[in-house]
Amino acid sequence: MSLIASFDEFVPQLRVFMTRAQEAPGAEPDAEFNRLAAALFALQRDAVPIYGELCRKRKVSAVADWRDIPALPTTAFKEYDVTSLPPAERTHVFHSSGTTQHRPSRHFHNAQSLAVYEESLRPWFRRHFLGPQSSHGSTGSRPAFRNNPQLIVLTPPPAEAPHSSLAHMFGTVRPEFGGALFTGRVNGEGAWALDLEQTMAALREAQSAGQPVALLGTAFSFVHLLDHCRAGQARCRLAAGSRALETGGYKGRGRAAPKGELRQMMTRWLGIPESHILGEYGMSELSSQAYDRVLPETGGGFRFPPWARAQVISPETGREAADGETGMVRVFDLANVRSALAVQTEDLAVRRGEGFELTGRAAGAAARGCSLLPEEL
Amino acid sequence: MSDKLLKLPAYFLADLPPEAALTPGLITEACQTLKRNRARYLEGRTTAGIVQRLDGLGRDWLEADYPFRRHVLEAGPAATGFSAAVLAAGLDSFFQQLTADNLDRLLRQELGHPHRLDDFYAGDHEQGSNRVALARGPQLLAHVAPGNIPSAVMLDMVLGLLARSAQFVKCASGQAFLPRLFAHSLYDAEAKLGACLEVAEWPGGTESLEAALFAQADCVAATGSDETLAAIRRALPGHVRLAGHGTRVSFGFVAKEALAGRHPETVAARAALDVAAWNQLGCLSPHVIYVEEGGNVGAEGFADLLAGQLEALEKTHPRGQLAAREAAGIAARRSFYEVRAAHSPDTKMWASAESTAWTVVLETEARFQVSCLNRFVYVKAVNDVNQALEGAEPVRDKISTVGLASSGARAAELAQQFARWGARRICPLGEMQRPPLGWRHDGRPALGDLLTWSEWEK
Repeated sequence: MSLIASFDEFVPQLRVFMTRAQEAPGAEPDAEFNRLAAALFALQRDAVPIYGELCRKRKVSAVADWRDIPALPTTAFKEYDVTSLPPAERTHVFHSSGTTQHRPSRHFHNAQSLAVYEESLRPWFRRHFLGPQSSHGSTGSRPAFRNNPQLIVLTPPPAEAPHSSLAHMFGTVRPEFGGALFTGRVNGEGAWALDLEQTMAALREAQSAGQPVALLGTAFSFVHLLDHCRAGQARCRLAAGSRALETGGYKGRGRAAPKGELRQMMTRWLGIPESHILGEYGMSELSSQAYDRVLPETGGGFRFPPWARAQVISPETGREAADGETGMVRVFDLANVRSALAVQTEDLAVRRGEGFELTGRAAGAAARGCSLLPEEL
Repeated sequence: MSDKLLKLPAYFLADLPPEAALTPGLITEACQTLKRNRARYLEGRTTAGIVQRLDGLGRDWLEADYPFRRHVLEAGPAATGFSAAVLAAGLDSFFQQLTADNLDRLLRQELGHPHRLDDFYAGDHEQGSNRVALARGPQLLAHVAPGNIPSAVMLDMVLGLLARSAQFVKCASGQAFLPRLFAHSLYDAEAKLGACLEVAEWPGGTESLEAALFAQADCVAATGSDETLAAIRRALPGHVRLAGHGTRVSFGFVAKEALAGRHPETVAARAALDVAAWNQLGCLSPHVIYVEEGGNVGAEGFADLLAGQLEALEKTHPRGQLAAREAAGIAARRSFYEVRAAHSPDTKMWASAESTAWTVVLETEARFQVSCLNRFVYVKAVNDVNQALEGAEPVRDKISTVGLASSGARAAELAQQFARWGARRICPLGEMQRPPLGWRHDGRPALGDLLTWSEWEK
């Protein structure tokens, strides 16, 4: 196994892997993923202090298989600087979302790791949201829409939410579309709000122009929008080819709606059929995202790009859960170059073939029958 | 199906098949039936008769071949998630308390005289005065039972019987198993008493059903989160009284003299019993054990001993299966503390291998920490009791029980200090989840709070 001496050496090799994987999806060799993972693990073990401490505690110094790489829990991103970047080189930081958390996760980037983040998200977004025929396209091509699509993003624009990896992602995919409108706002407390008037006006305008719409937002922002539609009995019939991307993250605020109900409401009030609604799974602690279908195919569970792999881990044994058994999602993301490639989430999932289906979150601190008190987690 | 399983007759709403939908009309009708039955069968009963019946029932439940007990131990693990051994220990703790002597003590404590629910009597300190009094319970007492452990609601049902109240026990979804069995055992012992009881389950906050229940009740005894209680208070008609028990947490305190002897493992064993009882899910179960430095073993040594005792208890009283969500909560917390322990010598963790059965986290930081429960306990080193109290200050108004390992004059001194600080109950470590029948529930007279007095100045 050839050694990779530095992150600067690693990144070009990762780029080669990513390009090859896009050219022949599904044919990426396991050995190459393994080689890159083992190399990145060794770099991070030596360069990310808190990760090195965990590896020493576990007495893991080298790995033969990517599955043996110790995973760092997402909570470690709240308490420690999980990064190999010296403070002066940390040009960007992404925080976990939600105002209900005491301390957000922090994921630091420099120009290079941010570029990798963008290179990771772009092709996988394109492939799933814009359709398989777009997956080989260059940045400038927009093959999925017949006529100039209107992009409406329900988050604040990246400039107003510089610490949101989601807003950054939506900003990154913006050139894929014609016009773009961000209708989210950051209010005085730093929480996100949705400009409903502006959103509705843009939807109506696109509808009358017969222009398809691409709507991107958090499930929470969609619930807010759809509740507004329902309250005003304002039903949109968006042009054929319109589509939506929703990503988790109610984060304990507002009204939660189960995924099925949310999608039914999107069909009912926006006229976007189930086949054109894409689910995204991502978080500030990762640099790659999983999607639950290739529009407009039927869903088959969430799947990460070939440079990231997910396991479903039994909470009892710490080993991979059996098919059909609920466990916790663990992600090995080669695009997490300067932090930790192996991340243990608190999301619950069931493996479905090659993908996984999200089923909930690990229980918080609240005892059954007794309720929340001050806590540090 | 095992021959140990009873075929329970359909006496209660909770006996209906799951597909049978409850309606407000059904609840109203059930309440009216309960009140009629109470007038016919319960109101005129003597305290002595009820005490005798309960005493017999307590003894029955302790018998190994009592059909209801066997049923609980056989079907309980699947229905409740508690292992048979944990259920058996919980039943023993509760029913050993249910004796005529203890009931008599409770009546004297709360009423000043054991027969004041039957007739006018002078209390112990009113002898020779011309005042006598009698107490009456609510006509219909509605219980909103907590979702965590079943023993508290069984005690509340006993109090309701003493108060001669018809009782409607509303359980959280999927939590009716033991209250329902207890109600059946009462029905079996005396059908007339059972006819004054109703048990049903529905998801808390189902407004139409709760409105129907609250409209019929005179008094609601509710245990749950502060938010749940606030919601119930808002939903109650003005004349209905609420005996509410909100969010409570508990901790243990091991004084240095308790660890001065040659057998510190016996102290750790008592702490382990408190952690294992009802899998730590009750409000009286410890989240944190504070250990005062200066004994023969320090906090770290104690944590190590506690881990050993929890491992031993797992063999005799296994925790049982958890839902994936709960197990994941433990696994996530363990991951967090594993990282912290890798980073700093101030944190150490002991954990069961290949399972989430038990976890001990040692920290030098004294701040009270809310556990995810199911046998996940914090051990915190403190220099003295003041440091423990400072650490627990954020939850001061929520503290129910302090399990104390100490002795002699020091124990009395510490008990004073905890009580003045705000703890409602101080008990020996190892007894935290075994409150006496007559305990003042979180600082309130549990029976007395249900009653209304009539006084006669002769």
